[in-house]
Amino acid sequence: MLALDVQNLSYHYQGGVQALKQVSFSVEEGSFFALLGPNGAGKSTLAHILANLLAAQEGEALVAGHSVKRAPIRVRKSLGLVFQEPSLDDRLTVWENLDFHARLYQVGRGKGAKIRGVLELVELEKWSHALVRSLSRGMKRRVEIARAMLHEPKILMLDEPTVGLDVSSRNKLWDYLKGLQSQGVTLFLTTHYIEEAEGAHQVVIINEGEKVAEGTPHELKNLIGGDSLRLKVIPEGLEALQAYLASKVEKVQLEGEMLHIRVGNAEKFLAEMMPQYGDKVTWVEVERPTLEQVFINLAGKRIADSHADGREQLLNFAKAGGEHTR
Amino acid sequence: MLFYLSTIYAIWLREIKRSFRDSGQLTGAFIRPMLWVMIFGIGLTPYFSGGISESTFVVPFTYSQFILPAVAVLNVMYAAVQSGVSLIWDREFGFFREVFASPAPRVAVFLGKLLGGATIATLQGMLVLILAPAADVPVSWRQGMLATLALFGLAIVFSAFAIVIASRMSSFQGFGVFSNALILPLYFLSSSVFPLDPSLSVEQQILIFPPWMVFAVRVNPITYIVDMLRGIMIDYHQFAPYLGSYVLLGLCAVLIPWAYREFQRRS
Repeated sequence: MLALDVQNLSYHYQGGVQALKQVSFSVEEGSFFALLGPNGAGKSTLAHILANLLAAQEGEALVAGHSVKRAPIRVRKSLGLVFQEPSLDDRLTVWENLDFHARLYQVGRGKGAKIRGVLELVELEKWSHALVRSLSRGMKRRVEIARAMLHEPKILMLDEPTVGLDVSSRNKLWDYLKGLQSQGVTLFLTTHYIEEAEGAHQVVIINEGEKVAEGTPHELKNLIGGDSLRLKVIPEGLEALQAYLASKVEKVQLEGEMLHIRVGNAEKFLAEMMPQYGDKVTWVEVERPTLEQVFINLAGKRIADSHADGREQLLNFAKAGGEHTR
Repeated sequence: MLFYLSTIYAIWLREIKRSFRDSGQLTGAFIRPMLWVMIFGIGLTPYFSGGISESTFVVPFTYSQFILPAVAVLNVMYAAVQSGVSLIWDREFGFFREVFASPAPRVAVFLGKLLGGATIATLQGMLVLILAPAADVPVSWRQGMLATLALFGLAIVFSAFAIVIASRMSSFQGFGVFSNALILPLYFLSSSVFPLDPSLSVEQQILIFPPWMVFAVRVNPITYIVDMLRGIMIDYHQFAPYLGSYVLLGLCAVLIPWAYREFQRRS
């Protein structure tokens, strides 16, 4: 069964800016899906449409088999959401935030036990009566994940969940998420961090509101011709090796003393080659293509941060303690 | 039905918890009546009870007694507007995203927010009632209950009004200025700080006061609410006693649906 089925979704903001253009893809139940693209590509817009916070002008989206347009309440119940910006009430305690969520999602019986359960999941049992404002950013994100899992959703949707976190909090977060995925929860992740999409079962790359590529990370990397392999060879063996390589791949380049080729899988290739030619090779360099390179190839630019938009500027004003902001 | 009540309760409870943890707001609620009653009240009493020399009319109260019910109204207005500010924050950055993405029905979220804001505003108004004996206004249980009821009505009206304004603003950078520019004129032009001599007809009032002021005081709904509260607390009123409750009911009937429409439009 499909966890998500997105069909020809288009969205344009008032004033005509088109955020999504005919985007389609589907996500298998229980898999880990990553939506990759630079800031402003339309990732959050898409996430908001799936979460029913925006209504698409064209197209249809099914969440756990329910239409976003026709069965919004069912869609909401089957989604656990972690938003890009923190959405906890920082004047309430961790427990109070979760209790509030439980009421909104009608987690009736066994509420207390369930709250304890999700707090254990993210290892925050000891902090349940701490005010949220006293927690670190990484801990707040963990509370948000706990909260999103409280009503036992089928799909956990995370919109740029690791933005602003340090490396160790990020790694911890990934441990929790992988644990959840192994329990059968579908993970839907939007990110502009390439590394985070590397571990996904399926990646969709979008740029300027359009889907530019789709596939497993491996398939996407193959789009740019596989691994890059460089060999340093002793002068006596150069000719023989060149001939061997030419028989295996289309193009062999000589870069100084190094021979450069592209192969689908460098390990397999070397396992075959080394028994015969190992004594002639003094140096081997393998470079795996990254999704970053895939993206550059497809979009002609890097996945880089864009400047702060109006809302971000306002948020910064508020954080700086602007007048009457609380 | 139970789900509606549970949602209303959840939102309401959150509003209450937040406001009790915000010491700044409570301090303001306490200091405001102290300033009006102690400084204005004590300072103006000699001028006040002696009567205005050209007027035929003398108010048989000290200024502290006279101003006290109006200060309760002021406290309610400030607290209600504060809850409007928190709505902007919640909506733009965070917490209400969680609420709006949940299966909770919008109308229940709205009612929870309205009742939460109104409850806090009523409590801040009641704070003034507690100060009443200090201003030489003895409040009986019956008077206290009636006054609380009136303050709650006003709190609902103003919370709804704050939701309307908050829904029409996308930033709170101007909200502070805006709310002062709204609350203070409404308050000053409600015959709260000085009475328009009730023994005169409108024509005679216009001779003493500028016509625009007489007009403004008479169209300002707060005038009738302050008057009603004075009727309850110190048994003094310039208008028919039931007029205030009619005004409140009328404002509720207009503002609550309006606030709901605006709230839904922006969520």
